[in-house]
Order: sequence, then C-alpha cells, then structure tokens
Amino acid sequence: MNLFKTIITGLTCGVLVAGCGSQSSGDTAGEEVIIYSNADEEAVEVIQEVLDEAGFEGQYIFQSFGTGELGGRLLAEGKNIEADMVTMSSFYIESAQAKNPMFKALAFTANPQIATPNYYAPILSFTGAILLNTKEMEANNLPVPTSAKDLANPIYKNQISMVDPNGSSTGWLFVQDIAAEYGTDAEGQQIMNAIRENAGPNLELSGSGPLKKVMAGEVPIGFGLRHQAVANKAKGLPIDFVDPSEGNYTLTESVAVIDKGEKTNPKAMKMAELIVTKARPGLLEIYPNIVYDGETVAAENQIDNSKTYPEPLTAELLDEHRAFFHGE
Amino acid sequence: MKLNNSPLMKASWLFIGALFLVFMFVPLGKMLMLSFNVADGLGLSHYVDIISSNDFRQVMLNSFFVAIVSAMSATFLAFILAYTVHWTNLPKGFKQTIKLASLFPMLLPTVTYGFAIIYTFGKQGLLTKMMGFQLFEDIYGFYGMWLGYTIYTLPIAFLLLNNTFQYLDKKFVIVSELMGDSRLRQIDMTVIRPLIGTFAAAIIQCFFLAFTDFGIPASIGGQYKVIATELYTQILGASPSFEKGSVVALFMLIPSVLSILLLWYVARFNVRYDSVEHFDLPTSKVKDRILGVLSSGILISLLFVFAVIFIIPWIKTWPYEMAFSTDTFTKVIESLNLMRVYKNSLIVATLTAVFGTIITYVAALIYERSGLFKIGKLTIESSALVTNTVPGMVIGIAYLMVFSGSSISNTIFIIVISNIIHYFSTPYLMSKNALSKMNLGWETTASLLGDSWLQSLRRIVVPNSIFTLIEVASYFFISAMVSISAVIFISGAKTMVLTTKIVELQHFARFDEIFILSLMVLLTNITALIFFAVVRYLYTRSINGTTKIKVKKPTVTTVA
Repeated sequence: MNLFKTIITGLTCGVLVAGCGSQSSGDTAGEEVIIYSNADEEAVEVIQEVLDEAGFEGQYIFQSFGTGELGGRLLAEGKNIEADMVTMSSFYIESAQAKNPMFKALAFTANPQIATPNYYAPILSFTGAILLNTKEMEANNLPVPTSAKDLANPIYKNQISMVDPNGSSTGWLFVQDIAAEYGTDAEGQQIMNAIRENAGPNLELSGSGPLKKVMAGEVPIGFGLRHQAVANKAKGLPIDFVDPSEGNYTLTESVAVIDKGEKTNPKAMKMAELIVTKARPGLLEIYPNIVYDGETVAAENQIDNSKTYPEPLTAELLDEHRAFFHGE
Repeated sequence: MKLNNSPLMKASWLFIGALFLVFMFVPLGKMLMLSFNVADGLGLSHYVDIISSNDFRQVMLNSFFVAIVSAMSATFLAFILAYTVHWTNLPKGFKQTIKLASLFPMLLPTVTYGFAIIYTFGKQGLLTKMMGFQLFEDIYGFYGMWLGYTIYTLPIAFLLLNNTFQYLDKKFVIVSELMGDSRLRQIDMTVIRPLIGTFAAAIIQCFFLAFTDFGIPASIGGQYKVIATELYTQILGASPSFEKGSVVALFMLIPSVLSILLLWYVARFNVRYDSVEHFDLPTSKVKDRILGVLSSGILISLLFVFAVIFIIPWIKTWPYEMAFSTDTFTKVIESLNLMRVYKNSLIVATLTAVFGTIITYVAALIYERSGLFKIGKLTIESSALVTNTVPGMVIGIAYLMVFSGSSISNTIFIIVISNIIHYFSTPYLMSKNALSKMNLGWETTASLLGDSWLQSLRRIVVPNSIFTLIEVASYFFISAMVSISAVIFISGAKTMVLTTKIVELQHFARFDEIFILSLMVLLTNITALIFFAVVRYLYTRSINGTTKIKVKKPTVTTVA
C-alpha cells in the first residue's frame, strides 16, 4: 500500500467518521436531551436530582451559561440552537420568542400566580441582597450599609463589588432598586454613577462574581444573590447580608422547550413537566419566593420588603437599564 | 530536479485547496458581508457606529497598550534567560532547566493563568498569605493582564531568541576582546545588534498573541476592556449582534495583518554567519553568578504563579477552611460530565495532531518537492500566510455565523477543523523548512535506481523528516489541548472540551474544579510530550548504525 493512498484514504475516512460521529441520525428518541441553563449551581442540583429520580439519569446533558451569554445564544441562534430545552430568565425567553418564534407550546398546564404565556412555565424566583464579609468589614472598620443608596458613599470606594447588568441579570436586580426609587434622571443617575465608580475594578460580569470576591475577602461588600449569602452564613463562614431598604426586587426563571419540528426530542417536554411539578419544593427551599398557589415559606426566610418593578420586564427595558447603569 | 505531477499530487492539492476555501475563505467572506449588512440593504453604518464610539476607541487603546507593554517585558525577560543559556559557563543541567521551565506556560490554557494570578496575588492569595501583605494592588485589570500576557508570551519570545542565539558567532566576542572594546560596546556589537531582527520579531509575535488572546482578559480583565472581551460581548453578550461583531472582528484583523507584514520586514535584519563555532566563552564568575540568580528569579516567579493550581484543589474552602481534603477531587472524577469533557479534549487533540500533521506535511510537500504549477503552489503558500493572520476568535465567530444549524455544527469535526486552520501556519513552515533542507537530488537518484516517486518519498523523504513530523504532531496536540479562543464559540454541550468547561465553571466560581481541570490539561500535555520523546528515542535507536542526515532545527515558532 503506498503512502499517499494511505494518507488520503485515512484522511477521508477520518473526516467522515469525525463528521458523522455526533450527528443525529433522524431518530431523536434515543438521543440525550440537551438542556441549556443559566440556573445557579444549587438549582441545577435540584433539577438533576428530580430528573434522575424519574429515571432520566444519563438521558440528558446539562449545559450551564451565564445569563447574558445564554440570552445572546437564544437571540442569535434561534431554532438552530443545539439545546432541546432551556431554563432561563423569563424575560429573555419572551424576547427570544418575539424576535424569532422558537419555543413549543407547553403540553401541560402550569398555573403560576402571575399569568405567563403558554410556551414557558416559571420554575423559580430569586432576589438580590447586599452581601457582607464580616471579618473584612471589621478589619476595614466600615459602617454596615442599610440601603442600596448607601453604597454611593465615597467611604466604600474600592470596597464594593457589583454585577454589571451587561453580563448578568443579578446586576439588573440592583439597578431596579435605584431606578424605581430614585428614577433614571439626574438623581438616580448620580447615585448610580457613584456606586459604579466605587465598584471600580470589582465590577463583575458574572452574577456570582461579587459573592466570589466577598468570600475570598477581596472586598468586604458586594451585591449578589440573597440565597447564596443565606447558605454561606448558615455554613458558619464570615458572610452576612442586608436587605436594602429600597426593597428586594425579583426575577423569575422558567423552563421552555425548543420547537425543532420533527426533530423535537419528545423527552424534552416530559422533563420540562417534571421540573415544574417535582422540582418546586426543592427550589423553593433555596429561593424562598412563592411562585405557585399553595406554596409556603419558613418565617426566617421570608423577605419583608419584596417588590415588583412597575414596568413589565423585557430585554428592551434591560437595554435601557444597562445604559443607565453605565451612565450613557 | 523536481518530479512530475502525479495525479495524486493534484488530488491532494485540490483537497487542501477545498479545505481552505470551505473552512476559511467562505466563513471570512460571510463575516465581511455581514459587517455591511444594515436594515435596508448594504451600508457602512455599523462601521460608523463603532468607530465613532468613544468606548470602542478606548478598548482599542487599552488592547494596544497592554499588549505592547507585555510584549516588551516578555522579550526582555526571555533575553535574560536566553543570554544565560548561551553566554555563560553555568552548569549544563541549569541551562537545560531554563529551557524546559521557560516553556512550561505553553502547556496550560491562558484562562488558567488568570485564575492562578488571582489566587496568588489577590488579597487572600497564596503569596499574600505567605508574605503577610499584598504585593500588587489592583490585580484585576491592567496589572493582572500585563502579568498574564507576559507569562503567556515569554515562551515564544524565548524560543525565538534561543534559536537565534544558536547561530551567533562567539568568535566575535574574542575579536572584540582583543580589540579592547568596552564591555558595553562588546555587548552591543556581539549580542544586541545581531539580535535586533529577532528582538523585533519577538516583540511583534508576543504583541500579536497578547492582542488576540481571550483567556486572560476573560479571567482577570475586570473593567479594563480589551478587544477580545469586546468581541465576545458583541457576539454572545446580553444583546448580541453578528453585524457589529463582524466589524469588531475585522478590527482585530488589522493589527494581525500589520504584525505579519512587520515580521516579514524584520526578517531581513537576521544576521547570517557562514560558519558558527560552538565553544564556551571566557567569562567572569561574577557575571555568571549574577545571571544565574536573575534567571532563577525569573523562573521561580514564573513557576510560583502556577503553584496554586497544585494546592487549592486539595484544600477544603480556600482561604477560610485550610484543611486537607480530597472531596473536590473525588467529586470531579466521579462526575460523568467532566469525564466526557476530558474524553472530548483527548479526541479533539489526537485528531488535530493526526490530521493536522498529515495535511500540513502534504501541503509542504506540494510546495517544496513537487513540480506543481506555480499558481497551485502560490495558493497553498498564501493560504498558509492568511491562517497566520486570522486570530482564533475570528475563526470561531466566522464558523458560528456560517455553520450554525448545519449538520456539522456542534460536532467534534468542526472543532478539529478550526484547530487545524487556526494553527496551520507554524507546522506548515516547520515542515517546509525541513523539506527544503533536504537534497533535491534524492528523488532523482532514487528514480534512476528504479524507485517511483512515492517509493522514494516513503523510503527517503519521510524517514528524513520524521523528527519534524513528531514535532509538528506535538505542536498540534498541545495547541489543541490549550486552545480556547476558537472553540469557545463552536463547542456544543456534547462537544465541550476542558478549556471551554473551565470558562463555564467560572460562572459558578468553582475555582478548585477549575484548577483540577487545568491539572488534567497539564498532565495530559506532559504525557503527550513524554510519548513523543519515546517515539523519537525508539526511532533514533532503530536507525542507529545507519548514517543519520541531520536536519536543522526549524527556525519558526508559534503564532497561536
């Protein structure tokens, strides 16, 4: 056998094998369901447990993204997306559907307290809070902030870590606090600018960025997900949290199934239903916000000053608020 | 004499040509088209938007500044190391250590350095804990990136300088000594001047790498925005736009093209000596010791940054629960998803090495040892040059735009192809270099003796370039293992590789797992290097007794 024939034959075979290796062969029933998700680690764990218990172990692949990134993929790729199912911020699901219809109507009924379109069902609702590293607070001799506005105080220069709403919707929770209370005009803008400048190098694109920095002792104060602070405080770590006096705003995350026509994996819808019906108790423990009728939350986990933003949350409003955050 | 075109040669040319057309020129063309796409037809409004934005100008300035500063510091440090290797009488083992240790960062993805820097120099970092105070403040942003890029590009600068040093003639030092030159003048005349071309090449090469890298700014960039992060945000940020992303990608190409042109230009400054004599110079013990200490200092600082990768995974919760624990490690090993990711990485790297080596070798054969028509050769040569100028991110984005939704999207195949195209240039030049140095008469002699061209290829040409082939394969393998910029856009849930998984884990701030994955990359690369060394050794032993034709070490290094 001569060398070139070997090379060329090998090459062609290899290319073909590699090319076909991971392609779908038309029969989607045996394929793994690909789930794209922006959910936090702890939510992913709950969802996976529920799916595994229902006998779906090994029949799905969970792929995590930051909210901004997954939102980008939904808007950019539409139905071409690799995923069969997503769990994602509800407002992004709505915007993606409006831009490019890509979700299937749900085959089951979910009746959340707040009405939603038929192509998604909320699975959790979360809120933010001001996070503190008590050791670092003491070491730096800083006063404990009580409101979002407090963070504009120059005393916190380079001592706070914030989430850039460009990267994560956690950042948006904070912007809603300022925008609803002080407006997006001169007063609000001034506060926003001061806070952004205080954050300086500690402005993070990832929602868990500030917690990461507060946990590592890089900064004493951050704005991040409330439930993560609750969990770490309970572990005995030097972490505490403050609910800002302006109120705690909330965002919901939902599950939706991608409409791939004939190629739609039938298992995706079943899994979506399971997540909505079976995962709620576990998720409610982590994110103590009521989404469906009949749910209850332990007294110590209740948020006293829970608020809803006066306008409907859309990707367009997020765009406005992102510009507001950056002082543009 | 070169040989006639066998039909097979033409077929190979056609195959490689088609590969470039489909997997490089069409995607790049599509990207160019998209950049002109406006609501009602074609227009320049995206360009106008981006150029007139203050933010973007700042981003470009930042990118240029941090890349140039890092390129200069990397080249300077690499010079000290290379000088120590070649111009002192320090022990051989020490010199060998310098050579190996300075290449160490190449075995890890850049995104890992960023995290390693945070956990070394941060407020609760390893070094900070050891010293009791923070060495640098503000590691997020410019300083962190400066450090990261310097570590990243130092190996390349060292490779280039080390290579040129081999060809510097030490006789001139003796001459200079005899002429009574001052120390400064001696260094200037015998070392600095002959190296000017290489200095320029090293700085340009390092600049190019830093300018187009995504891993370091993604991990430690903070608010210091550079073009790589800007590009990522435009394509997959909160409100993505392929059109604007295309414009930004094209901006990233400009410095790349410029650096290639400059590299071409500075090549003429390379000094050539007719013969090079290798002997040890009369040098002072004091000078040797100072250089020994300096080099050790550089290497220790370099390697220390990576120490955390080995430590953090074994600690319960850094920095508050400093107890030894194997929990994280067991968790990672037990997690099916991560093992799948590891398998993907191995498959991708192996396929890239195998097919990359074959394709670049055939391309080089066509250019150097065939009588293929001129245009044929020119297309191969210029395609190779183009691959050199296109950053990985741009390839990834172009693929995302063209192949999204097609049957090859989210496959291992597209990742392998993107790696081969992305890293094509250096291996191609290495192969070409090796092939061009062989006597062109071999094939003629062989044919006179009755061998066909293919037989002579198999019996003479390939065996004589076997060391280059091994080097090319290991280059492809390691590059594929650490590559991130192209794959970040095209890997799917089923085809995740270790580097993209590292970026994903960042969302959850799971640093211990990030470092374990980095260790897996590192150990795999080291294993691969050992494997290639063994192959080389076995081959050397098998040809022992026959006369070995020495092939000079290739003078080319990496453009990632």
